[in-house]
Amino acid sequence: MRGSIWARALLEGPCDAGGFPPSVVVCDGTIGGRPYRTVAVVPNRGARFPRARNGEFGLDEGLAVARAVRGAPPGAALISVVDVPGQAFGRREEAAGISLALAASVAAYIDERRRGRSLFTLVVGKAISGAFLAHGMQSGWIGALNDREVEVHVMPAASVARVTRSSAAEVARVATVVPATARDIATFASFGAVDDIFEVVDANAPAPDEIEAIRAAIDRAREAGLGIRAPLERLERPEAARRALARDVRARIDKAW
Amino acid sequence: MQRIVVERAGGAPVTRRAHVGAVASGNLEVLCEPPAGAGARITVETSVDGYEPIWRATLERFLERNPIAAAIEINDFGATPAMVSLRLEQALELAR
Amino acid sequence: MTPALLRRSYVEATPRERIEALVDAGSFREILDPFARCSSPYLAEQNIVAQRDDGVVIGRARLDGRDVAAIAVDGRFLGGSIGEAGGAKIARALERARDGAFLLLDTGGIRLQEANLGLLAIAEICDAVVALRERAPVVAVIAGSVGCYGGMSIVAALCSQIVMTRVGRFGLNGSEVIEQEAGIGELDARDRPAIWRATGGIRRVEQGHADILSGDDLDELAGALRAAFAAEPNRERLSLERLRRCFAQEAPA
Repeated sequence: MRGSIWARALLEGPCDAGGFPPSVVVCDGTIGGRPYRTVAVVPNRGARFPRARNGEFGLDEGLAVARAVRGAPPGAALISVVDVPGQAFGRREEAAGISLALAASVAAYIDERRRGRSLFTLVVGKAISGAFLAHGMQSGWIGALNDREVEVHVMPAASVARVTRSSAAEVARVATVVPATARDIATFASFGAVDDIFEVVDANAPAPDEIEAIRAAIDRAREAGLGIRAPLERLERPEAARRALARDVRARIDKAW
Repeated sequence: MQRIVVERAGGAPVTRRAHVGAVASGNLEVLCEPPAGAGARITVETSVDGYEPIWRATLERFLERNPIAAAIEINDFGATPAMVSLRLEQALELAR
Repeated sequence: MTPALLRRSYVEATPRERIEALVDAGSFREILDPFARCSSPYLAEQNIVAQRDDGVVIGRARLDGRDVAAIAVDGRFLGGSIGEAGGAKIARALERARDGAFLLLDTGGIRLQEANLGLLAIAEICDAVVALRERAPVVAVIAGSVGCYGGMSIVAALCSQIVMTRVGRFGLNGSEVIEQEAGIGELDARDRPAIWRATGGIRRVEQGHADILSGDDLDELAGALRAAFAAEPNRERLSLERLRRCFAQEAPA
């Protein structure tokens, strides 16, 4: 339940905005006296869709996150607290159109950011595939805990070997030569995708000084206007040296267009 | 992964660029351009190892029948010799 | 007359043939064609031969005179999956588009072999679609045999209009993946009629998740594409109230 722990711990004062399903924790509070809303997706054993009970981003989560984002109090910045094992895999989800649930969430984040609302993300656990696309990747500032369970990828580790019909050893080898396939946060950060990594002793029990450090970083980032930056702006930052290929493609398109 | 290069001196240069095919299972992509120097040079990149003699035979036969000067790049994913020849013919048709 | 014009089927046509058939005659100018060699440097290490256009075709074209970006994902190469180079092509084409864009989406989503670079690219593409659709049509066409899955299905859902055929499927996770993750009791990937009934073009248009249903014929699709460009952007597709009602219908009793 890291998501809910951090969603609450990040803000000053008691919080808990009501009216959301148990799988989406929404808190309103402040940091440095300025208003924020945190949003986390968490496990809900009693969820009505059986394939979305372990913290997966499913149909109801997409709608609830979209509602939480669009309904954030005026002037509040958003903090997406991310620990999601992925999107929900199920026949009901596909029949219902889960792509649209994720898109509703993405659209909410993008629309709010384009209207001037600052978006921040703190990755406290897993950030996988569609779930991360829908909840967290549209932020102008992305921070993460330096913890073994923090990982970014497009598929659970066990599935990768199976789908590529290779061994776990081969998958591990590929991760060392193709950093894009590595799961750890430091490697993801080497693509310029992460703004700050925070040391914590126990990611499930944040210490006051650890919380303070993150609050201060978010407060500084908000002050500097970093929360409204668009994803494509990351490409031009010096930290994104490793994305030279993408930059080169874009420059060549510009010449030819 | 295997890389194979076949060259042949002489031949009439192709005048245009041509591209056919795709890197899908049993398929290949062919990029054909006017030559850098004289003669024909075909470079093959394939994910299916162990067929060099067949590649050479297929490509040399193609160049025998079509004495062109060209720079040809083949990206292969397990195409049969017949498919390889077909794609080369298609590319040549567009490149002449 | 090119062979494409004799073959009237979208499914049988290549990505370039599809674009040529859909836009104003002779108006398509490809940008970063295979000879630009913007291919993936990450695949050789994984024993995969790279396709020179990285499985994405982009360019400029006219659609009833409009100056639009044409984008087509090649479903033949690695299941139409999106890597760093192809993803950058899509995003930049959307940013450069003047009077709108259309995307022919025959894609399984993020390319596993490039994982997080594909993930970053798709986040950028989502942003580019939303930015463009504020001022011009962005139309997704889902009509190929691969369907539109994964992160790219999120992209499609953000578009102003979606054109589908009965062949096209629009979903997030493919049936094989669901069967793997959840077991055959959840979904039998071999039951193709059931899969199309649930995620195919007929069902999606009926649900209101997609907008226009066309036949596979390229002329008919060209008309459908123009109709999509002329139509009002669909602001209801992602309406939370509409989705709540749709999802309630699928909830277990």
